[in-house]
Amino acid sequence: MRHAAAPAGLLVVLLVLWQIASLGGHPSYLLPPLEILRHFFAALGSSELYVHAAASLGRALPGFLIGSLMGVALGLAAGIARGLDEALSPLVFLTYPVPKIVMLPVFMLWFGIGDLSKVLIIALACFYPCFINAYYGARATPRILVWSARNMGAGDALIFRRVVLPAALPLIFAGLRVSLALSFIVMFAAEMINARSGLGHLIRESEMSLRFDLMYVSLLTIAVLGYAGDRLLRLARGRALRWQPS
Amino acid sequence: MSRLRPLLLILVLMAAWELAARSGLWSPLVLPSLERIGRELVLFLSRPEGWMQAWVSLYRAFGGFAAAALVGALLGMLMGRSALVGRMLDPLFSGTYAVPKLALFPVFIFIFGLGSLSKVALIFLECLYPMVIITSQGARAVDPVLIWSAQNMGASRAATLRRVLLPATMPYVFAALRVALPVALIVVIITEMISSVDGLGYVVIYSLASLRTDRMLAIVVVIAALGLALDRALVAARDRLVYWEKLDTYFA
Repeated sequence: MRHAAAPAGLLVVLLVLWQIASLGGHPSYLLPPLEILRHFFAALGSSELYVHAAASLGRALPGFLIGSLMGVALGLAAGIARGLDEALSPLVFLTYPVPKIVMLPVFMLWFGIGDLSKVLIIALACFYPCFINAYYGARATPRILVWSARNMGAGDALIFRRVVLPAALPLIFAGLRVSLALSFIVMFAAEMINARSGLGHLIRESEMSLRFDLMYVSLLTIAVLGYAGDRLLRLARGRALRWQPS
Repeated sequence: MSRLRPLLLILVLMAAWELAARSGLWSPLVLPSLERIGRELVLFLSRPEGWMQAWVSLYRAFGGFAAAALVGALLGMLMGRSALVGRMLDPLFSGTYAVPKLALFPVFIFIFGLGSLSKVALIFLECLYPMVIITSQGARAVDPVLIWSAQNMGASRAATLRRVLLPATMPYVFAALRVALPVALIVVIITEMISSVDGLGYVVIYSLASLRTDRMLAIVVVIAALGLALDRALVAARDRLVYWEKLDTYFA
């Protein structure tokens, strides 16, 4: 309990200081926390916020699912099959430090400026952390466990399902966590650069029309969504990895 | 031979690209041939304006990255070694970890202006997270036996810090740097794409808007090469400076 209260304590102190500092007047672009909260709850009553949030999630989640599924599947496959490893891994590791967002304009050209190019760029960005973590996870399977399973008569499929997969799972979840955070960043970037809907578009539009209330509302919404997604993933991790301390 | 193998797949991909470009199925606007991209690349590299744009981007990325590296390594050390600081800051960092800091960019523009400062500030913030989180993990993981031995042999607190804690944490600091460097590059390109009048990200968007696909792809190549070269340089520096321990954390 004390552990949970401490972070909130520091955050509350910071917010209270911010609120107090703004009592003596504040620039129009720096709204005090209570003001932001008031606007946020007011916006929850109208449909606009939901429409944009749904548009954003409609891009981030499919992109995250496609990218991380491909990444985990190919990463595991490359981790256990030498042929695939030699063909695929060098290219993945070589292009890993390249900022994937530069492909957004290219994708816009190939797949149009609609949702498809955004979903694909998110998928591309999510692919890398998942691939690399699944790859190392599969390769780090203790050899002795594989041997024991084989010795007890397990086939390849059974060894994969009961030995390699559980051994790789902690790293896979680490990769998923990075990918989920990335999917939100890339979604937001893509929407700020070019979109007609979504939270990134909303924040950009409200910035340009000096609607600071709306700007902070979209900021708070994206923060809440990102935090909630991360929490859900950690919850899933806790269930899937009951045998492991976090 | 094994060093050439990664090139093999790239060569195949390039050949496929060239074949598709020359097949006439797609307009050169959508799929320009490698020859035209190459010509634009040479043009870009042969003019000082090109180098200027690259310098502007690198300058911003390095500014935020260096500040985050310094502050992050210090904060991480403190959080890892002091229970009080750790309890206070740890939940703050892990709690806001999944929140896209990019959303703060419009606010930063109002606070720091449209120029470089708002971009550098955002790069600093985004790079700070991996620096702090990984460094504090490393500082926490220092083998207590090493510290006890040092104290037992009469080492002062300063000597323990300099001779035991720092060398033991250094591999993690470099692992963190290696995560943070691509982040710095991503954020500088994104912010230049969103709002800027210079830098490589701006040139990419500008080329797309003026339908110079070949130029755009040439600059994509430049950015990719920069990302690769910086990572290689960091690995080379790490292998020289932190020769006593190999911690290859490409992941997480």
